[in-house]
Amino acid sequence: MQRPSDGSSSPRPEARRVAPRAVGVDTGGTFTDFVALAGGRLVALKLPSTPRSPERAVLEGLRRLGAGRATRVRHGSTVATNTLLERSGARVALVTTAGFEDLIEIGRQDRPDLYALAPRRAEPLVPASRRVGVSERTGPKGEILEPLGPAGLRKAASETRESRPQAIAIGLLHAYANPAHERRLERALARLGVPVTRSSAVCPEVREYERLSTTVANAYLIPRVASYLTRLSRGTPASLEIVLSHGGTTTPARAAREPVTQLLSGPAGGLKAARDVARACGFERALTLDIGGTSTDCGFVAGELPRRRAREVAGFPIQLPSLDLHTIGAGGGSIAAVDAGGLLHVGPQSAGAVPGPACYGRGGPPTVTDALVVLGRIPGQSMAGGALRLDRRAAARALAALGRRLGGMGALEAADGVIEVAEFHMAAALRRVSVERGEDPRGAGLVAFGGAGGLHACALADSLGCAVVLFPRHAGLLSAIGALNGGSRRERSRSVLIEASEETSLGRALDELQAAMLAEFSPSERARVRLERWAEVRYRGQSHELSLPYGPGLEERFHREHARRFGFADRRSGVEVVTVDVRGALPGDELPGGGDSVPTRRLGEPRDTARVHHDGRWLRAPVWQRAALPARFSAPGPGIVAEEGATLWIAPGWTARLHGTGTLVLVRARPARGPR
Amino acid sequence: MRGRARSARRGARGREKPRPGEGVRLALYQGLFAAAAEEMGATLMRTAHSPNIKERLDHSCAVFDPRGRLVAQAAHIPVHLGSLPRAVEAALELGPFRDGDTVMLNDPFAGGTHLPDLTLVSPVLLTRSGSPDFFVATRAHHADIGGAAPGSMPLAREVYEEGLRIPPVFLARAGRPVPDVLRLLLANVRTPDERRADLDAQLGAQATGARRLGEWARRRGAAELRRAAALLMDHAERCVRAAIGELPRGTFRFEDALDDDGLTPEPVRIAATLTIGADRVRVDFTGSSPQTAGPVNAVEPVTRAAASYALRCVLGGDFPVNDGAFRPIEVIAPRGTVVNPLPPAAVSAGNVETSQRIVDVVLGALAQALPDRVPAASYGTMSNLLIGGTEPLSGRPFAYYETLAGGHGAGPGWHGASAMQGHMTNTRNTPIESLEHAYPIRVLATRIRRGSGGQGRFRGGDGIERVVELLARSRVTVISDRRSRGPYGLQGGAAGRPGENLVQERRDAAPRLMPGKFQIDLREGAVLTVASPGGGGFGAPRVRPLQAADKAEDENSGGTHTARGSGFVGSLLQRASAMRRVPANPGSRKRK
Repeated sequence: MQRPSDGSSSPRPEARRVAPRAVGVDTGGTFTDFVALAGGRLVALKLPSTPRSPERAVLEGLRRLGAGRATRVRHGSTVATNTLLERSGARVALVTTAGFEDLIEIGRQDRPDLYALAPRRAEPLVPASRRVGVSERTGPKGEILEPLGPAGLRKAASETRESRPQAIAIGLLHAYANPAHERRLERALARLGVPVTRSSAVCPEVREYERLSTTVANAYLIPRVASYLTRLSRGTPASLEIVLSHGGTTTPARAAREPVTQLLSGPAGGLKAARDVARACGFERALTLDIGGTSTDCGFVAGELPRRRAREVAGFPIQLPSLDLHTIGAGGGSIAAVDAGGLLHVGPQSAGAVPGPACYGRGGPPTVTDALVVLGRIPGQSMAGGALRLDRRAAARALAALGRRLGGMGALEAADGVIEVAEFHMAAALRRVSVERGEDPRGAGLVAFGGAGGLHACALADSLGCAVVLFPRHAGLLSAIGALNGGSRRERSRSVLIEASEETSLGRALDELQAAMLAEFSPSERARVRLERWAEVRYRGQSHELSLPYGPGLEERFHREHARRFGFADRRSGVEVVTVDVRGALPGDELPGGGDSVPTRRLGEPRDTARVHHDGRWLRAPVWQRAALPARFSAPGPGIVAEEGATLWIAPGWTARLHGTGTLVLVRARPARGPR
Repeated sequence: MRGRARSARRGARGREKPRPGEGVRLALYQGLFAAAAEEMGATLMRTAHSPNIKERLDHSCAVFDPRGRLVAQAAHIPVHLGSLPRAVEAALELGPFRDGDTVMLNDPFAGGTHLPDLTLVSPVLLTRSGSPDFFVATRAHHADIGGAAPGSMPLAREVYEEGLRIPPVFLARAGRPVPDVLRLLLANVRTPDERRADLDAQLGAQATGARRLGEWARRRGAAELRRAAALLMDHAERCVRAAIGELPRGTFRFEDALDDDGLTPEPVRIAATLTIGADRVRVDFTGSSPQTAGPVNAVEPVTRAAASYALRCVLGGDFPVNDGAFRPIEVIAPRGTVVNPLPPAAVSAGNVETSQRIVDVVLGALAQALPDRVPAASYGTMSNLLIGGTEPLSGRPFAYYETLAGGHGAGPGWHGASAMQGHMTNTRNTPIESLEHAYPIRVLATRIRRGSGGQGRFRGGDGIERVVELLARSRVTVISDRRSRGPYGLQGGAAGRPGENLVQERRDAAPRLMPGKFQIDLREGAVLTVASPGGGGFGAPRVRPLQAADKAEDENSGGTHTARGSGFVGSLLQRASAMRRVPANPGSRKRK
């Protein structure tokens, strides 16, 4: 079943004849989104996902879009993430320093829930029976304390073979400082004929548990991700690139060897695209707000994409660069409930797809979506382009019941309360990525996307003090757009742990990394690669680093940044570089302005009006269809702009204008009443 | 009067019901106060220098009202959190305050717990009234605060041997540091640079909390913030009273013991009588041992924290933890006992060891009221390992502190978790690679002690074994418990295997079994093994002739009963466990 995203941009027959230059594909839980660049136009396509074999939906979409040999397909896949979440990965054997076989199970020894009578953590991916201890030892400076000889190698190989693994992870103590033993084991174990991951290759950084966890996760993911990528490559003549957690792309071959680098690619595409949207509208600094059904992802961009090195997925630390997003469990499906003491809670439990919010008419609980329906911010009788009928009465009943539990509030008041609490959590998440990191959100644009980002954007901008809201075209497909224009990108990093003043050693380490990194580009690409050198710096003795571009005056810049972020600089302490990394990127495709995809038909008049409850009274709000907005569209709030899969609420006091790039730019017409 | 519970003086039962719609605003404020505390913790973790704070996260942060009542806390270390209110109360005595003041203290008899826990308390003045609207507090375990042994947890007889004792004093006045106080402190500790850096980080965290509250006061008004704080306490009180109302009423007794006090071999008894009423609970520790010569004395705030923690676990629910949540809980800790000692008792292990046993005892009593909810005892000791000396290359002094997790008790329906922190602590381990960078210590092994969990229908979790080699002459202190008596099982489940401490003078020397608490000077090349206990089992292991019902169930599950209990040993353990469970006769369990 084909569900074109809207009237103007569905793949028309003539578009299909020309193979698109590039296609971005983002696989989600419900839909697989496609955005194609063909004949200077953006074409969108949405197909139902095929979770059992996700490549079916991807290949079907590529076929319909006419992707050919000359088409570059950039794909953000959830196969790696789902494999970890569902724990459906490979039988992994772990080869590690003898005496430390259980580190992978002990972890950092803390418990996730302080007051649980039966605290639980994720079962390790490798059970005790498949952990092989090897007699060897490297010290903290890379010195060999106990050599690893041929006998040890043979023993490791035979014990590993006995556990009949489908993939092997090698993680030895201090291997980031000296990978010699890991390399030797890698060569010996390669003969077993299954993929081998060693920690010094995938994550050469200090802290054994985090490195081990990353390495094991990689081995665990390889077979499934590799076979998925093979099926995909065989199914299309197009050239494939895979989106990684840091927002860049890589070849399917490398993506299959290092699947752990894809684990957080989903929201990365959206953040990247949001940065581009902001930039195109003249904002170097932007807050990004991606609100979906169950969660909200927030980020802050100041030119560079924000990154962080440590994340947790399904309870396992993943020590790799990813785009820095703060995720909270508050989205459209978040359930509103009242506790024994009369306090209103919104989320983190979600109504999910079944039964869904009350307004789906399947007996679901009151949710944020229901509150928006009751208040009129979600107008009409259906959602998701008609796929879902809205039971407005069921929403009203659910909110009325909630109001009674809140001590005699009406449905409207209760709905206001639900939105206020949900938006409080969202604002807190936006503050977490901005104010709390020393970044001032005033003067930054707020880029709102995802299905529900536009419904809360004005209130959140008021709360954060942002003067401008940006609502991009295809707001519900931004991840696919991010995939589409993601340039290919390679990165190499290594722990060095030396004084920031030792520039010769640092320079040498960076040169080595750079040579290795450039070797991963084709000779023709190398000339165009944009290079960056970074250093993770800290005060000697601290264990949290700040990321700074490597170059002259590193120490002084570190003192200043530390003072800015944490309120003090300690010039008496030594400054050390923990990790250096080298990044190389090829520029992505330029996307056409949104004007191309907006028809020239003059349809400036709203088709409809809705009644919206705002600030204690009912207002009449015109409802525009996004696809039918005229080029010079401008309208003061209240108003609603609907496109398939995303809705924008223009609050009173805000004015929306259509920017040349197709983004709707909302400015506060009069000063807000002051942040709440 | 410190011994008698202060909660008794409050007749309040959540008097002020929220007005219609207040449930919405309060939800916002609850999020706000909690976020301020969490942000304080994040700042402290990112900027501290000592591995114990930055890697192991041995610190806690909270927000208090002007009367020193807890408003919100970040989920950090339970033993810190439950005892912090007393620190703020003690600091209050230094008032009146100016903006930018910060009080420091660690005196266990004036707001502290044990000496290494340095606590900072700062008033937050949001208006021109001149009086504080809130207080913020951080408590962090510093790796050394002087005294007879590196790490400041020696086998002392008096608090004076345990380190520098700091009553509430100003560390900063009106935003300016008080240099005399800092100089005095730094002159008395083994690692002054690290202490200075960690205190800086704590001050930074205090400033973060104050800044966040200031921002919100500008938006919503200081009076509104204060009012919200008071209403949130009433709300938590209502929640807790409602949850208590669901418990079976009655009086339940339980007792257990520490192996010894570190100086004399006698067990140290902890006894609790738990009385559950309609909407309140009393925990009376009358019958516990007199205060001890060795350092296992738990000052009253620690006892209160442990009792409240145990109840919080059993009450469940999703209510905020603030002053209101403690109001329905009355704690009676007689003065001069191990749960409320008088100065100059040594107290360093009360915080880490006795607090765990108090939880075991209160949970043991609760298990009688709620046999289908409460698990068997967890490992019950933090197995504190402290190593200090001088780095051979740099000549700099070092002090290393670590605690070891263990096995959790099994419960009705679940096996206990292995190698995980429990109850009054939740500190992480220091990564081995960081530790070996920072100290002249090499880790030879860290593994799970398979089979150390108590047998039973549900098995207790397993403990951890850690083996380290000293690379420099060092003074070593180990403070551990459950070395002679394992954590109890319940309903026929066996006790967990006790922990074990071993010393080898050299790698190839024969291991020497050490007591639970000891201090020793060792040379380079010596090897130390610390092994933590497994958790207690739950329910009789199915090794006896099967009952008909059991049998049917066992066949369904594949009939693996022979693999579970270990025959003779299993039944011995089981008997040992039953002996330790004091309230076996129904006579001691009175119904109201």
